[in-house]
Amino acid sequence: MVQPAPASPMFWRFNPEVYRLIGMKCKDCGHITYPRSKICPACGSFSVEEHKLSRRGTVHTFCINWTPPPNLEPPIVNVIVDLEGGGRYQGLITEVANPEEVKIGTKVEMVLRKVMTDRGLKIYGYKLRLLEEG
Amino acid sequence: MRGKVAVIGVGMIPFGELFEKSFQDMVQEAYINSLKSVDKGIEPKEIKAAWFGQWSGGGMIGQGALCGASLASMIGNREIPITRTENGCPTGSDAFRNACLGVASGVYDVVLALGAEKMRDKPGVESLIAAGGGGGGILGLHPSWMLGMGGPVLQALYATRQMYELGYTMEDYARVAVKNHHNGTFCPYAHYRFEVTIERVLQSYVVCWPLHLLDCCPQTDGAACAIVCRADIAKRYTDKPVYVLGSNTGLDYKDMWNKHSFIEMLSTVRAARGAFEMAGVKAEDMDFAEVHDCFTNTELMNIEDIGFCRKGEAARRLKEGEFNLDGRLPINPSGGLKAHGHPIAATGLGQLCELFWQLREEAGERQVKLKNGIGLQHNVGGDAFGVSCVNILSRAM
Repeated sequence: MVQPAPASPMFWRFNPEVYRLIGMKCKDCGHITYPRSKICPACGSFSVEEHKLSRRGTVHTFCINWTPPPNLEPPIVNVIVDLEGGGRYQGLITEVANPEEVKIGTKVEMVLRKVMTDRGLKIYGYKLRLLEEG
Repeated sequence: MRGKVAVIGVGMIPFGELFEKSFQDMVQEAYINSLKSVDKGIEPKEIKAAWFGQWSGGGMIGQGALCGASLASMIGNREIPITRTENGCPTGSDAFRNACLGVASGVYDVVLALGAEKMRDKPGVESLIAAGGGGGGILGLHPSWMLGMGGPVLQALYATRQMYELGYTMEDYARVAVKNHHNGTFCPYAHYRFEVTIERVLQSYVVCWPLHLLDCCPQTDGAACAIVCRADIAKRYTDKPVYVLGSNTGLDYKDMWNKHSFIEMLSTVRAARGAFEMAGVKAEDMDFAEVHDCFTNTELMNIEDIGFCRKGEAARRLKEGEFNLDGRLPINPSGGLKAHGHPIAATGLGQLCELFWQLREEAGERQVKLKNGIGLQHNVGGDAFGVSCVNILSRAM
């Protein structure tokens, strides 16, 4: 798989975004995104502030991938999540016995998991777990 | 653009798994075919500049980055400026757009746009990874955001939401494959020349639910090109030039999580709106269109985003036969990416070849009925389908 080396500057640089979920909110148009950006990708404004993403949200759309890249066991469930308080997150569902439990509108929360092993180093990041109702 | 630019010749090779041909073989054959296609003849030296559409950049064929010099050497012309164009799946159509701008600017009289891609020298999974389907670092983003992404996933995320918001079904998606495979049986340049049925599509392997194997376009080798020239001198080369009315590239975010919607691509909306404005025509003026059906659900979305019908109507209209070869608005008479194949940089130029032949009524069994004599070509792709290109061609200036 074509990947930057896990000891590369990119992994260090993105730590605030990946682990503390620091994103960006535009003071002019309200758009929320990550990684942080000095310029709002939605409206081009320079007037932006840091915004901590919520760890919870609902599934906006998903798919069940039976042909994932190497090192991932099929099926995996890719989701786009509408986060509480705004912004969307793209990730993988974890700890679901039956992928058909995932639907549009399903409530999920982020949990820290190993996302891959590359050149002997474990890389951690958030995956999404289905929230128990109630 | 209108009144300034014409296409005087096109060349393509049959798309497919071309293990017997090298990248250079494909480029040279398409180039020679384009020169031969000019009715009254053309000398290679009359071409004064070229745009070389090339997407994978040599990774697929095990050589260094491809550049203008690569094409110059292959076509034996080192005296002219050549720029490599790369812009996602619209690479070929954007190379064409740049060639048109070169002519419209008044700087060059005759130019070439050529696109080629070799995707099958690597086996399936490796080829997908070299093509960026492996997800992760390829987009320069942290793997925890991009893990497990790839072409089918990106489109399946749209397909699921189309089903949810518009009520589309997997049968609706399969129907696109049925139509385009049927068209492909009439096209000698198509990669796949066999019919499929709705049942066969739905029984094929689930690549990424809700998309089946036969919902996906193939990985294909191919090359295609077009010779573009000043409209006012086009008749020196042919009595039947095809004129370029409008040409536009439209963009949207490069990240899926920023998208405003998963049933619409603003890149396509913007590309089409600008091209129609430039051309001074409307969607309803088109006699037919070649649109980017990399996956079956994508074709339905494109038909709506270009403005051929309202959002949510494409599946019903397809079912009623409106987009068939003999329908009101034939979509993908060539077989589309689905059956004709998708050699990335060659795809857009291959579609433009089809427009050229259709508008000159040289498309044989798959010839569509012309009323206004105007056709549209469309691609969408790049990071998170953030790039789209639309070209509008006409048999009249």
